[in-house]
Amino acid sequence: MFLFFETPLTLSPRLALPVGARLVSSPVAAAAGPPVVDAALTEPTAEDGYRSRADLKRGIASFYDGSSALWERVWGEHMHHGYYPAGSKRKDHVQAQSDMIDEVLLWARGGGEAVPRRVLDVGCGVGGSTRHIARAFGCDGVGITLSPYQAKRANELSAAAGLGDQLSFQVADALEMPFPDESFDLVWSLESGEHMPDKEKFVSELTRVLRPGGRLILVAWTHRDLSAPAQAELRPEEQRLLRRISRAYYLPRWCSVADYTRLLTAKGMGGMRRDDWTSNVARFWPALSPECGARAALTPSARPPGLFRSGWSTLRGALVMPLMIRGQKKGTIRFGLVTACKPIAPGAASAGGATAAVPRAPPPRAATSLAAAAAEAKAAAAAARAAAPPPPPAAPPPPPTASVASRLARIGAKQARVREVEMPPPAGFEWGGTY
Amino acid sequence: QLLTHNMLMAPGTKNGFPLAIEVEKMETVESEFRSEFTARMVQKPVTQVEYGALLQTLAGLGMDGTLPPAVPDSYESNEEFLRALHHVEVIDGTLVCPETGKRFPIKDGIPSML
Repeated sequence: MFLFFETPLTLSPRLALPVGARLVSSPVAAAAGPPVVDAALTEPTAEDGYRSRADLKRGIASFYDGSSALWERVWGEHMHHGYYPAGSKRKDHVQAQSDMIDEVLLWARGGGEAVPRRVLDVGCGVGGSTRHIARAFGCDGVGITLSPYQAKRANELSAAAGLGDQLSFQVADALEMPFPDESFDLVWSLESGEHMPDKEKFVSELTRVLRPGGRLILVAWTHRDLSAPAQAELRPEEQRLLRRISRAYYLPRWCSVADYTRLLTAKGMGGMRRDDWTSNVARFWPALSPECGARAALTPSARPPGLFRSGWSTLRGALVMPLMIRGQKKGTIRFGLVTACKPIAPGAASAGGATAAVPRAPPPRAATSLAAAAAEAKAAAAAARAAAPPPPPAAPPPPPTASVASRLARIGAKQARVREVEMPPPAGFEWGGTY
Repeated sequence: QLLTHNMLMAPGTKNGFPLAIEVEKMETVESEFRSEFTARMVQKPVTQVEYGALLQTLAGLGMDGTLPPAVPDSYESNEEFLRALHHVEVIDGTLVCPETGKRFPIKDGIPSML
């Protein structure tokens, strides 16, 4: 989710609801029978202070069209949160963003799973994750985004990185994807689910384009799970908080991780796991604060002229960003992870190395390095390819490296403009609490 | 690239592929050819029918001399075949759904599949 700036495109006069107005949130489904998916997940409307679906679709594209260049200039190719293991005070924010991808892959896949041959990056931005995953696995990749600017930029960056053959990008709607069924081994959605106005349709598309035996990895900002019957709704102040954030950042109504798992289960996905990494992204927030952003932008090496012209955007962003922090501190807002696999129909020929009906859940993560885990994955893939008929000719993929320096060396001088930006937290910012 | 356009489908349809490609501006790509990736692109969802559609497109572009009329056996190791497929990049043009006739523009190499 892109949170640095916001361009005020369509300011509705209805910025606040009367005190006491309530939103319908999703109840937890009963254990048996089809899950109850209420209107909040399937039919976004312009009522209750949230933007309409048309407004969102238009607004998201313009939002990212207008602000991508600025973000990329200051932050680089990754448009997602960095990984700060609880308590970590690391300041290498760009590396943290890169690590987030590796850590999520490791969490989802463990070390022994077959390497995907084609990945779909849903909400790909300028292709940072797409490139990272393609390099890590030596696979093909496709990225989709609503923003024509981002898609074009993703293409350029990938070609410059020598990945033009492996990767392609399209402007497309994640709720109506332009791919036949079962096109991808790995479907990846990192901080894009928040934008989807129809979570049920979103999950339906994610699972449709996944090959049997393939894996879905979804990481998104969500609200906390609601536990029926004690609490069927978020509290009024929580609803107000989310509504204000959503108007500023072109988001539809929020859902919970439990909602995603319910929808995925309804689609027959198996081997499901979930996690909460709110405490692992906490330290990213001080780096995003407007004060630090302004400070960073004023340094001679990172001074895009747009920052000074977007005074209103910066102010609006400044007003809303603390709400995200408040929401996390109160436990309303969570950084959630879900992964699941599409079962292979019993009796069907095994596809590309997966031999179980559902790939076994990855073993608990041993304290190995990311590079070791990736090397393991490649060895497993080589073994799987040797066994499975008829394998494509397997040129050995380039070995993974963990360091930013070697990655940049491989990418080339053009992309080496991505810098580590030192951003100390603002004075007086205290972080703490458990979730 | 020609091959990746070939894997796209008209969204919301069941059989809206392969999309016909109308080219306004194209480039032959001189980038490094990597056979394993091109081979994978050809793997799915190319069937004989889809390959035929691709050949028609190339005929329209005046490139029909370069490809055989049928997908060769063991195309994965047929480097000449893979190279012939690899080189074309459509910069500006249109993708057309065979089922509905709906048109999707390609601009600066990026298809808009909305």
